[in-house]
Amino acid sequence: MKAAPAQRAAWLLRWYPRGWRARYGDEFTELLIADITERPQSWTRAADVMRGGITARIAGAGLGGCSLADGTDQVSASLVSLACCAAVFLGLGAAIWSQLTIGWQWSAPDARATTVALVMLSAAMLAFTVLAAAAAAPVMWCVAARVSCGHAKRLAAPLLFTAAGVAVMFVGARHFGNGWPGTGGHAWARQGLVPGGVAAFCWAATLSVSAYWAHPAALAAFPAAELAWMAVSPVAMACVVGGTAMAIRRAGLPASVLRYEIRLGVAACVMMVVFLSGCCAWLIDGGPGPRNLFHAGAIDIAAAAVMAVALAVAQQAVRQALRSGVTPATR
Amino acid sequence: MAKGRTEPEALAGFGRYAGSATLILASLAEGAKHGYALTKDIESFAGVRLAPGTLYEALARLQAQGLIEALESQDRRRPYQLTAVGAQVLRAHLDTQRRVADLGLRRLARQWGTT
Repeated sequence: MKAAPAQRAAWLLRWYPRGWRARYGDEFTELLIADITERPQSWTRAADVMRGGITARIAGAGLGGCSLADGTDQVSASLVSLACCAAVFLGLGAAIWSQLTIGWQWSAPDARATTVALVMLSAAMLAFTVLAAAAAAPVMWCVAARVSCGHAKRLAAPLLFTAAGVAVMFVGARHFGNGWPGTGGHAWARQGLVPGGVAAFCWAATLSVSAYWAHPAALAAFPAAELAWMAVSPVAMACVVGGTAMAIRRAGLPASVLRYEIRLGVAACVMMVVFLSGCCAWLIDGGPGPRNLFHAGAIDIAAAAVMAVALAVAQQAVRQALRSGVTPATR
Repeated sequence: MAKGRTEPEALAGFGRYAGSATLILASLAEGAKHGYALTKDIESFAGVRLAPGTLYEALARLQAQGLIEALESQDRRRPYQLTAVGAQVLRAHLDTQRRVADLGLRRLARQWGTT
């Protein structure tokens, strides 16, 4: 039995984001009901509504199109999208970089491409750390100001998510980073570009980025605690990113902070290009190196592909934020 | 494109939505209409049926640019009407279109005859 037009219209409306539904939902539903009554079967209508809904969601995420949000909210949305893309990029990038730097602690690379790549990757990671700290400071200041002004209830959930995620990531990465030969704390882990403890921390934090997921038999041989960490750490990371994104959206950052964050976003995109270039140099021309320490696997190629997509979306978010043109008078 | 802009190229800023934007503005030129009435009117004078998603995407853009405005909703249906700026933009756009059409027809007549 076919569903009633009103029910089908309600299903189709779900393609659109909440804000759009609140503004256009009633009238759009009426139009859909009339259209469905007139033409009960239409794949083109369904496809058109799906496309329109996705476009509205992309616009709502500050990535293009016509958004319902005003200037500052639109820029906030773009910055949140940028932060999410940067988090994905950094998560995968840190996994690759930590593997390579740990490899260097065992033995220096014999290929020029790998050496150059590692220098580029390490410089970019350092820049990312500085940029992240520079970006976080004013946001934390604004959030603290909002909390002190009585908006604590609105910001409690995102802050709780972020704090819990950071705590789990820090404790877990410290614990597992110190328990692996060749990483932090080991007597002979003293050569290479970065301190062994830093490399080990990043390695442990990104332990879930692993080709072992495709080999369940090998994965089953892992210690139970390590397996649990591989499952928990991505959730903790998602809590950090999601909580931060919610906090940015709810804090209502002033225009001056938004402009500052956009500039940092441009710098972050440049560093992503540097990082990805180094990564490609290693993937294309690096070779396996001594004792196969710098071998590039399918997981690394897949990670580089996802990082390229994250970079493209991040650039679009920055472009859109710049286009929104937040002026001092906006807020 | 900022609100109040009336140059002929104003609608060109809509990119691939320029066609549907022109149709909607032309339909609203005779008075306020809600979504379904717009669809039927455009179908009758242009032979094109705007799908619901496309229609509302264009309506949102036109409203954001200040070319149309929403009126109070009637039974969950919200009518839209042309603004003064929208009327100016539509007039300028159609004048340009007419000049192009006249020029094309004249050249066709010179080279290919009138039939």
